[in-house]
Amino acid sequence: MLFLQALVSGILSGGVYALAGIGMSLVFGVMNISNFAHGDLMMLGMYLAYFAFTLLHIDPYLALLLIIPVSFLFGFILEKVFIHRVIDHPHQNQILLTIGLGLIMSNTALLAFTSDPKILTTTYSSSAINTASGLSISVPLLLSFVITSVITAVLYLFLAKSSTGMALRATSQNREAAQLMGINVAKMSAIAFGIGTALAATAGALIAPTYYIHPLAGHSFLLKSFTICVLGGLGSVVGAGVGGIIIGVVESMAATYISTDWKDVVVFVLFLTVLLFRPQGLFGKKGGQ
Amino acid sequence: MKQALIIALFALFTALLPLIIGEENPYIIGIMISVLMMAALSSAWNIIGGFAGQFSFGHAAYFGAGAYTTLILISSFELNPLIGAAAGMVVAALIALVTGSIVFGLRGHYFALASIAVAEIIRLSVLNFEFTGGAQGILLANVTLWGLDLNSKNPFYYGMLLLLIVTLTVTEYLRKSKTGYYLQAIREDQDAASSLGINLALYKNRALLISALLTSIAGSLYALYIRFIDTSAVLDLRLSIEIILTAIIGGVGTLWGPVLGALLLVPLAEALRSNMIGDALVKFGLVSETSSVGIFLNENLAHAHVLVYGIITVLCILYLPKGILGLFRRVK
Amino acid sequence: MSEPILKINKVSKHFGGNIAVSDVTFAVEKNRIFGLIGPNGAGKTTLFNCMTGFVPITSGEVIFNYRKINNLRPDAVCRIGMVRTWQRVKPLSSLSVLDNVMVGAFAITGSAGAARKIAVEKLAQVGLSDYSAKLAGSLSIGLKKKLELARVLATRPKMLLLDEICGGLNHTETASILQLIRDVREEGTTILFIEHDMKAVTSICERIVVLNSGVKLAEGTPSEITSNPEVIAAYLGGGFDA
Repeated sequence: MLFLQALVSGILSGGVYALAGIGMSLVFGVMNISNFAHGDLMMLGMYLAYFAFTLLHIDPYLALLLIIPVSFLFGFILEKVFIHRVIDHPHQNQILLTIGLGLIMSNTALLAFTSDPKILTTTYSSSAINTASGLSISVPLLLSFVITSVITAVLYLFLAKSSTGMALRATSQNREAAQLMGINVAKMSAIAFGIGTALAATAGALIAPTYYIHPLAGHSFLLKSFTICVLGGLGSVVGAGVGGIIIGVVESMAATYISTDWKDVVVFVLFLTVLLFRPQGLFGKKGGQ
Repeated sequence: MKQALIIALFALFTALLPLIIGEENPYIIGIMISVLMMAALSSAWNIIGGFAGQFSFGHAAYFGAGAYTTLILISSFELNPLIGAAAGMVVAALIALVTGSIVFGLRGHYFALASIAVAEIIRLSVLNFEFTGGAQGILLANVTLWGLDLNSKNPFYYGMLLLLIVTLTVTEYLRKSKTGYYLQAIREDQDAASSLGINLALYKNRALLISALLTSIAGSLYALYIRFIDTSAVLDLRLSIEIILTAIIGGVGTLWGPVLGALLLVPLAEALRSNMIGDALVKFGLVSETSSVGIFLNENLAHAHVLVYGIITVLCILYLPKGILGLFRRVK
Repeated sequence: MSEPILKINKVSKHFGGNIAVSDVTFAVEKNRIFGLIGPNGAGKTTLFNCMTGFVPITSGEVIFNYRKINNLRPDAVCRIGMVRTWQRVKPLSSLSVLDNVMVGAFAITGSAGAARKIAVEKLAQVGLSDYSAKLAGSLSIGLKKKLELARVLATRPKMLLLDEICGGLNHTETASILQLIRDVREEGTTILFIEHDMKAVTSICERIVVLNSGVKLAEGTPSEITSNPEVIAAYLGGGFDA
């Protein structure tokens, strides 16, 4: 029973991780950039949800309708103004730029909102569905999982069927070839980063009812998101989705069977193990990158 | 030969500085110790990051290894601090070898990510174990070494200076040697380097090892100096980033870039932290102490130094990616 | 007929479903200038990558100096004496021209002084002495190719693999490089030449292998190859400058 409980909780929370991972993977695929501000973008989503709730009295899950376009726009602008300039620069400079942007975001939040953690409690924040077999399913987790699935399905359709989506995929596979085919790769980068930001912010908003909201909250998700991307295969959206669920389950199992103090360590050790034995991840192509 | 002379002159000048400034300014000596330490840390990082082009984002792991190993051995076993520092170097070497063997066969972003993962694993482990002091950290009451009074600042000033000089000398020696040429080739183009007979993993590991050992010595010195350490002081990601930023701003891959970076950033951070800038603005009448701007600055500038770091980082990458010295840099 | 320094035995390379090289077999005699030609996408560079350890071989053997070198690491391949240049030049851009060649020279010496001497000598051989202090990244493409040649020569290779070294060069530059290659061959090095420029190939190669779509199409002397109807047909899709 303990195992099943841990499994279910892990899958549900894995959904949110998957969302964050997919956002990062998309950016990596299309732009070949590791976005170290990803965690801070999640943090922004958390605060957006918090303020939508406390100031506008909108339920965080409903607020998504607002948060998604706003954060997409934010990411789009961020790419156009900053990230775009280093797209051909060495990887390390790209990483440092995103780190710098992340530092600005988290520390501006620190100055604006102070480091006192905010708590977003909805009427259902601690509700749980108790099944007959004794499983306790957290309602917010379940809702986030459902929403995540919907968003992932929409994203999948978008990438598979729409012309922009196909252009994004083409750019992701081979930037030069895409450019030669007439695709505006610069615009694709901005769109990809916008989507990545929106997904990160959404993930943040989804966990806002169950997490302490504070300016540095995004940092623990940063390395986890990278782990998910590497596990799934850098640039593979499907891989990131699967990877997210796996990480959610691994973390849940570690928290249950070892302790919550060590769950992050387990995830990071898993990350190193993947690098050691299968660096291309589950769905990536072999070749060292 | 020229660089060796400059290093020697720099060493001489810096060594005489405390005698000139005198004992009445322990605050300034303290700042200078921080400058020397950050310069040493950045220079050590530069060996793997600047010359080999492998950006380690988890160098705090080596700093913490030195600091924690030293203090644990002293406080639990009352061992001589030098043995503690040597043991710290061994631990740092192990971490470097493990990290290197996992990632140096791969290309791209993996080393950066793996270095963070390793550092975080170590940080979280130290936080969770009892013998490392957990969240409370480790406090050392008293330390003596051969009768030297380790409660004063001067021994650490000279200790950090010595470490910096050693690091600069090692860097300069490497640069002119086969290893240095090979590391730079790896940085420029790994495939080309490989096709010219360079064993990528071997040389990257070598550079990381040297860098880790030097970094751990700094950690040991720091631990003996402050005599209190915890994970947020010596194992934090922020420290790793500060080290990189210092090198970037001064000029990554150059000999004096990290030193220049430290000379600029450490006093700036201190000025922000101690509210010196806020006070100065008030003193010069630019801002009224009681105005809302004044109050805001007074309360927040102290916390803003990381924000300023972030802004400097972004500006630096966008407009000065080779750092200040990079502007003047010729071939050698 | 001198003994073969390089034997390619039924080498194949598959990238998933894509068969880049299929069952290719040929031998290169010592101290010869041997050409490897074929239309775009024929698998020439892939074959080079297989031989030099940059890409794992799916099946077959590469035998260099009677030693099977399948899947050796690229740096090991260099150390046993087989060194390559790159179709897209790879200068070490932030280093000087002299430093670039010194990196090559360090393959056979550990001393910076000795490496410098070798580098100076090789730069003189290719005619780049005047550019010694210049940043490698600032050179024109023709000079970058010469630099790459000087760099690999500094490793004192037994066999040189040249991947389209005449690509992007004008006639004077091409003639200059070809003469250099002849000189290098005189010194005892074996040369394997991927080239597109048929004039260059026929003027300098003693024997030629033709690849098409990963398969060996023909092998022979330049005159045999240029009069081979299958070869001519293969090139009638483009990429053949007769």
